[in-house]
Amino acid sequence: MPKHYRPAGKKKEGNAAKYITRTKAVKYLQISLATFRKLCILKGVFPRDPKKKVEGNHKTYYHMKDIAFLFHDPLIAKFREIKVHRKKVKKAFAKKNKDLADRLLNRPPTYKLDRLILERYPTFVDALRDLDDCLTMVHLFAALPAVEGERVQVQRIHNCRRLSHEWQAYISRTHSLRKTFISVKGIYYQAEVQGQKITWLTPHALQQVLTDDVDFNVMLTFLEFYETLLGFINFKLYHSINVNYPPVLDPRLEALASELYALCRYMSSGRVPGNSEPAGLIEDREDENNKESSKADESELRLAQLQHQLPTNEPGTLMHLVQESTGVDAEDADAKECRSLFKNLKFYLSREVPRESLLFIIPAFGGTVSWEGEGAPFDETDEDITHQIVDRPTQSHVFLSREYVQPQWIFDCVNARIILPTEGYVVGRVPPPHLSPFVDNDAEGYVPEYAETIKRLQAAARSQVLPLPSIGDEDMENSLVEAIIDRSESNEVAEKKRKLEMLEKQYHDELKMECEGMTFSNRTVDNPPDVVDKNDSKSDDNHVEDSHKQAEKDAAGISKSLMSRRERGLLEAIEIHHERKREKVNLLKKRKKNADSSASAKGRR
Amino acid sequence: MGNSDGDRHNDDLSAEDSPWSEGSWSDDDDDEGSLSFEDSGDSGEGSDVESDEPDAAAAEESDSSEDEVAPRNTVGDVPLEWYKNEEHIGYDIAGSKIKKRDREGRIEAYLKNADDAKNWRKIYDEYNDEEVQITKEEAKIISRLLKGKTPHANVDPYPDYVDWFEYEGKGHPLSSAPEPKRRFVPSKWEQKKVVKLVRAIRKGWIKFDKPKEEPNFYLLWGDETDTADNKRQGLSYIPAPKPNLPGHEESYNPSVEYIPTQEEIDSYQLMYEEDRPKFIPRRFDCLRSVPAYEKALREGFDRCLDLYLCPRTRKKRINIDPESLKPKLPSKKDLRPYPRTCYLEFKGHNGPVKSLSVESTGQWIASGSSDGTIRVWEVETGRCIKIWNVGGVVHRIAWNPSPDRNILAAVVDHDLLLLNAGVGDEEIQMKTKGLLQIEELAPDEDTGDKKPAVKWVKHEQFNGIMLIHHKLSKKHSHHPFRKLPGLPIAAVFHPIQKMFFVATKKFVQVYDLQKAQIVKKLEPGVRELSSISIHPGGDNVIVGSKDGKLCWFDTDLSTRPYKTLKNHSKDITNVTFHRKYPLFASSSEDCTAYVFHGMVYSDLNQNPLIVPLEILRGHSSSDGRGVLDCKFHPKQPWLFTAGADSVVRLYCD
Repeated sequence: MPKHYRPAGKKKEGNAAKYITRTKAVKYLQISLATFRKLCILKGVFPRDPKKKVEGNHKTYYHMKDIAFLFHDPLIAKFREIKVHRKKVKKAFAKKNKDLADRLLNRPPTYKLDRLILERYPTFVDALRDLDDCLTMVHLFAALPAVEGERVQVQRIHNCRRLSHEWQAYISRTHSLRKTFISVKGIYYQAEVQGQKITWLTPHALQQVLTDDVDFNVMLTFLEFYETLLGFINFKLYHSINVNYPPVLDPRLEALASELYALCRYMSSGRVPGNSEPAGLIEDREDENNKESSKADESELRLAQLQHQLPTNEPGTLMHLVQESTGVDAEDADAKECRSLFKNLKFYLSREVPRESLLFIIPAFGGTVSWEGEGAPFDETDEDITHQIVDRPTQSHVFLSREYVQPQWIFDCVNARIILPTEGYVVGRVPPPHLSPFVDNDAEGYVPEYAETIKRLQAAARSQVLPLPSIGDEDMENSLVEAIIDRSESNEVAEKKRKLEMLEKQYHDELKMECEGMTFSNRTVDNPPDVVDKNDSKSDDNHVEDSHKQAEKDAAGISKSLMSRRERGLLEAIEIHHERKREKVNLLKKRKKNADSSASAKGRR
Repeated sequence: MGNSDGDRHNDDLSAEDSPWSEGSWSDDDDDEGSLSFEDSGDSGEGSDVESDEPDAAAAEESDSSEDEVAPRNTVGDVPLEWYKNEEHIGYDIAGSKIKKRDREGRIEAYLKNADDAKNWRKIYDEYNDEEVQITKEEAKIISRLLKGKTPHANVDPYPDYVDWFEYEGKGHPLSSAPEPKRRFVPSKWEQKKVVKLVRAIRKGWIKFDKPKEEPNFYLLWGDETDTADNKRQGLSYIPAPKPNLPGHEESYNPSVEYIPTQEEIDSYQLMYEEDRPKFIPRRFDCLRSVPAYEKALREGFDRCLDLYLCPRTRKKRINIDPESLKPKLPSKKDLRPYPRTCYLEFKGHNGPVKSLSVESTGQWIASGSSDGTIRVWEVETGRCIKIWNVGGVVHRIAWNPSPDRNILAAVVDHDLLLLNAGVGDEEIQMKTKGLLQIEELAPDEDTGDKKPAVKWVKHEQFNGIMLIHHKLSKKHSHHPFRKLPGLPIAAVFHPIQKMFFVATKKFVQVYDLQKAQIVKKLEPGVRELSSISIHPGGDNVIVGSKDGKLCWFDTDLSTRPYKTLKNHSKDITNVTFHRKYPLFASSSEDCTAYVFHGMVYSDLNQNPLIVPLEILRGHSSSDGRGVLDCKFHPKQPWLFTAGADSVVRLYCD
């Protein structure tokens, strides 16, 4: 007899009536399993956990209301229609009725997902909240090889690329990027849009290999929804900054695979329509050559667009993209900080650095950027370039006016929100460790060395920066606020100093102890009997220490005997969790110590 | 009947009576009107028209005959001429005659009419022989009728025509004529038109435009107002948990401490697959050497599967301070004194010390070991005073609770030995010696001492297990209980009343010694009991079990434990109460002894207060056994523990 037996003919109620297994749901909806999957993905229906699993523990349960929700969706009818259409086409081909087949193929039944999106995300913020997966997926597909005959259509991949670039252009334009992190898996970005933190992962700019262990049907269904969602979101976002949405891009730049830059330019130009027509004519001729390669049908529109863009083609005008302020008053301090991080800095990317991500990040923090290759806004020989991003073992030709840094420097600067000193990131050196900005070091219990260095630098930068604005014409209130900030900062600094002092003291103590240890080990060689005594005393010490520890433990654990079983279990679980965390931190500390000692040994050698 | 009559009469009236038709009914009175009434009154008999007038009016007002006021006269539709010369005009409902009214004089009537403004609305009802006054509304209706209009002003005599008949679905054609042939034959003209179109299409004159491409994207989310249609419909939406954010170790260039050594990586192979770290940090010297992540697609796919295949539930995650879970205990300092540290060690035995007993004055202790010796120690110095080699395993040992008899009772193998401890004053020693020597003679010298000098003994080795009630003073034993539900484990006496607690494996039974019957049965709900002790007050009992649980019973409260403490990881060997201080202790095989504060209040409403005070350690384990016995000093807050490591320890404050 099953676990929850219900006699035949008895009315279903409770969990038996509320939940339905997947097989039954499929039968109820009279669709195939594949269609059911597709429907679930598109409608965002997921299984739920009933309190009582009436049909057995190893089955998936859907809520009956969810299934009814699917049942009434017009999409089911549409799917049936598509199936029928496919059959018709097949039949027409089989009967060699090419006319009919062509006619049928010309007008396949289509469906739209806009209604579903609105249903799933009634407000825009809801959609933004769920955007993480969408962005990650779209960026992943954008990195797939766009090869004809693969399992993913080329058009889809191009569409993904376009969408991801549009999204990045918006983020970069509004300076809403907050954190970046290069991991082994790819580059993580975190942006803040309308108060929602959106994190996504882009694979490294290398071509992914399509593996066989994934079901592309499922992924493409997800992608179908995500493409539509991102399209609508982009539309809304572009609309919010008064830019036409389906952006018309510069075909030349597009051909050069620098869509993002083209988009950025589009956005800046979309706001300020160009007024220098004659310049456009000259450039037009130049573009003529490139245009041949591009598709003909879009050329008219693009031409019109190009004419708008041309005035910004000189290198200097790109700056106004950054300087131009839109709704500054609405922005908070964070955004302001981000906007002006790379202000007045000019970057030049070498051929070997990942251009896409840097082209995205640097303008997002207010910098100006160019790259080695066609369509670049300015050359390597430009005198104003302050930093050149290089990722090669040696740099042969060096301009003295600029600094040569590795790409990690940009990422670290962005995370620290200060311009870090470039010494560590010089060409040919192994850069300092790249730390994740998503980790709360204090909560984790372990602060890496470099994080502390960065913190110190940040504090220093702040104390440097802060006195400056007080000179300017600020009103009383501001100066007051700043005074408060100053005070709090000075407190912080003081605390830090104390901490440092403590650390120093500890270090000295350790040193002393180490010295003693050294002498002790020396002595062991001299007179062995002494050692026994020492060891004895040591073991005694250990014993005493043990007993102390035991006593402490007892004192902590003694009240446990009075707790109820449930509470005790909870407490023990928490303790185990803490213990694991501590172990992890200890392991890190141990490794660090080992590494330090080995490094120092090497240094001595 | 009356209705139709009335109508008819009205018609007649309109035809005959000019003053009605022409008179303005609206407001003011005229003499003509009144005169006409006079006329009618005169020629009353001739025209029965007016007599029916009120009836007719009433009939107009209401369709139902029930509303109608029944005529007073019951003669029916007979010519009134017949009553012309009679005194009466008819009969009422009871059958009595209705008398004719006295006729008024003409002048009188005229004057009356002239005075009365409403006179024109008055009608003489000849049939009932009374005057009736009609209302203004009724008068209006009459005038409308006279004019040939509908009685009510708001009736629309010419409404629009509404065709109420439903033709659809009736199944019956309006016309049953057969379908004409032309309906089945393709239209020639249509065919011509089609041919034309086909030709045009073939020759390319008509071009089909592609299906119009609508703009794919538009402003889906309009204004963000917080209205009802902005809420998601249906079941509550549980958003999928976001993927974990990367930590330092996922960096392409993590700091050195995040990179595991080769040994550590190798050791991962030994771990369970679930525990094995999914991601092994690696370090790349520069960004250009970072390869494409080969599992990117797989991870994306896994995430997709999670999103649409994983059941989602809301889980409450508690984020509480573990300290807040611990019960608030009174400060230990306030509960002092209690044994905390080891003060003395009594060493000498060669085997596990199985039992221990403290003399009632607290000067000596006796210990029995499995090496076959019984030793008596002086507490203050830790000196061993006496040793008996009894030649068998000493299971239990006990002092006589009376201070003036230093007798030791010991269970050795299967025998119960009574020993003269031979300590204390000369006098007491003498007394004891005497007591023990005249054992066989059974003199009754001690009967004055009412205190039952008894000890319980367990004979585990016997087949038939029975409790034997030994009475030293009378020098005989008796068996009060022949039957017990299971093996007896331990037993104690009630300190005040004549009660006796027997712990079997599962239960504690309370016997009344005088009546020799069960009074109560305590159910601790633990696996197997091992020891029992009773509070000097007598109402509270603690029981130790072999699964390391200690149960506190308040016998007044319930037969279930008031509190169960799980503190030992192994069997509890003994539990004991202090006789003076509010302390109790438990010793266990896990080499620890717990000391608790157990305060019993005299106020019955207040529950006993139990506070764990101290964990006493020091004994070492031998043969998997730890502390075998514990006893409190009778006067001081000291605890003696007997360990399997052949040491007896004394813990003091």
